[in-house]
Amino acid sequence: MNRKWMVTVWIGVLGVSVLMLGCPKKKPAPAPVDTETTTVAPAEDVAQPTAPSTQEDKTPDPLAGDIVEAMEYAYQQGLLGDVYFDFDKYDLKPESRERLAKNVEFMKAHPEFLFTIEGHCDERGTIDYNLALGDRRATAARNYLTSLGARMDNIKIISFGEERPVCSVSAESCWWRNRRAHFVITGRS
Amino acid sequence: MKRSTIRHIPTAVLLVLLTGAMAAVSQQPGAQEPPVPGGEDVTVVLEGRLRSQFRLAIPEFDGLALLSPDLRRAADEIDRTLRSDLEASRVFRLQGPEDLSVLALTGDLTRDFELYRSLQNELVLEVDVRPEGDKVVIEGRLYHLESGDSILGKRYRGSPAVARRIAHTFADEIILALSGRQGVALSQIAFYSDRSGFKEIYLMDYDGANQRPVTAHKSISLTPDWSRAGDTIAYVSYFSGAPGIYLVDLATGRKQPVVTEGSLNISPSFSPDGRKIVFGRSLGSGNTEIFVANRDGTGLQQLTHSSGIDTNPAWSPSGREIAFTSSRAGNPNIYVMDAEGANLRRLTFEGDYNDGAAWSPDGTRIAYASRRSGRFDIALTDVVTLESRLLTSGPGSNETPSFSPDGRQIVFASKRRSSSTRTQVYKIELDGSGIRQLTKEGNNFSPSWSGFPK
Repeated sequence: MNRKWMVTVWIGVLGVSVLMLGCPKKKPAPAPVDTETTTVAPAEDVAQPTAPSTQEDKTPDPLAGDIVEAMEYAYQQGLLGDVYFDFDKYDLKPESRERLAKNVEFMKAHPEFLFTIEGHCDERGTIDYNLALGDRRATAARNYLTSLGARMDNIKIISFGEERPVCSVSAESCWWRNRRAHFVITGRS
Repeated sequence: MKRSTIRHIPTAVLLVLLTGAMAAVSQQPGAQEPPVPGGEDVTVVLEGRLRSQFRLAIPEFDGLALLSPDLRRAADEIDRTLRSDLEASRVFRLQGPEDLSVLALTGDLTRDFELYRSLQNELVLEVDVRPEGDKVVIEGRLYHLESGDSILGKRYRGSPAVARRIAHTFADEIILALSGRQGVALSQIAFYSDRSGFKEIYLMDYDGANQRPVTAHKSISLTPDWSRAGDTIAYVSYFSGAPGIYLVDLATGRKQPVVTEGSLNISPSFSPDGRKIVFGRSLGSGNTEIFVANRDGTGLQQLTHSSGIDTNPAWSPSGREIAFTSSRAGNPNIYVMDAEGANLRRLTFEGDYNDGAAWSPDGTRIAYASRRSGRFDIALTDVVTLESRLLTSGPGSNETPSFSPDGRQIVFASKRRSSSTRTQVYKIELDGSGIRQLTKEGNNFSPSWSGFPK
């Protein structure tokens, strides 16, 4: 599914590139080095993302290209982050609300992105019940985001129950990482 | 010779005395030698008072020397499978060639019957094999040793490819004749496995043999459920994005969507008449409720309305009730309602997390996974008295039970082996004995036992 989106986006990007190559009027502008995009800021300092650069740039905007790379970048920079839940729970803890408040800033700053929130569970519940629980977790995250002003129509939810763990050791050191709502950029609107 | 002696035993009507019970016997015409896809009665059908176990001698098949290597392998497979089926049925206690090797068998039936009896056997199964082109013909006769009466005679012919099927068919005939119960040797178990690197739906024979995939979505496909007719499996798959309910026709392999719209459609269960599917479906607000739809997806109707999670429904064998899991009272518990959604009552009160109700074929009880002291075990609850007991007590987590079609065994998934963290499919007798691992490759989950094959 994500792969499909990737392919679609790549085709789109290629299409745009071909158009640009085929356009003789514009010559590439000399490329000034933009210090904003080459400096890696600490995660806490980037809650307010910079406006998309209007300047042509040697260093491409990491959020402008491939969506998988954009998503990895957003996670690395702390622009997006997962939220975690207690066993068999779907209510948002205070730290989860803080995390979602940061996520929503990124989402508002990038209305072009389409998001899917994945709800995940650890292996200790049952397969079937966890599918429903994952749906509750993803929904709880989405509802909080929309209460903070995120656009509902840009956010899809999906539950993977316990079917797609990030970690497969049978211990709490691993389980807590699996009880999460995970953010995926699935495309551009 | 032994073979010709057997042939001269008349296939006549006989009054068979077993365990002192008068057995009514009906005659079958003494038809001989027709090709036998389903087996041919050549002697009698036995009724009468039923016994828990019979002591049965099965000497080595006669005629093995006449077979080509291919047919010999087929005969050996029939031999192994037949013995394994008869033992698994618990109707018989077997003595095989090794146990019988102490006997100086003469080849004369009447004398040999006495020898088998000297080892406390009550019955003997004499099996002849012979080649017929590229097929093997096996002919078996079951004798009551004390009276010398022939209880059952069957003949099968088939290629080596159907060797196991011949054995299962013959075993079920023998089980039916002696116990009055339909055997389960031809039943199948559906499950899902990650052995390919994806999660796909698989089938296997009831004894774990012949494991093969029925989906190739290269996605996540899970929680299969059999139609009672045995021709279709309902399952969940993510291959088009969000989890949706699909059917696969087992004869053609054709897949058909049931309900795929929305963010979550899960845990399908067929109505006994095969016309409807009941399942869990998210309303889109994080609230999963029980819905029912026709098998083509039309007639979608919501059956539950609670603020808790309502999911994982199981349609009762009578078609009148639906068991499901609900967190409406806090923790997940099993409830039952009638098929229209009314007359709700709670079935489980022990344990802090109960899910995965499976009905016994007679509809008198449910099996489910019950978490008590931090671990899931398979529990059984009488749906009328609500009496409950645990079928397993560890090790590991034991989940997703499903009854055998005769209601005597349960198949489930467990991480019970301490040497591995993998989940495998096991089966167990309803008295908690005879646990047997059926899968090995990858992780294997959520088994669903078929009904009796049609």
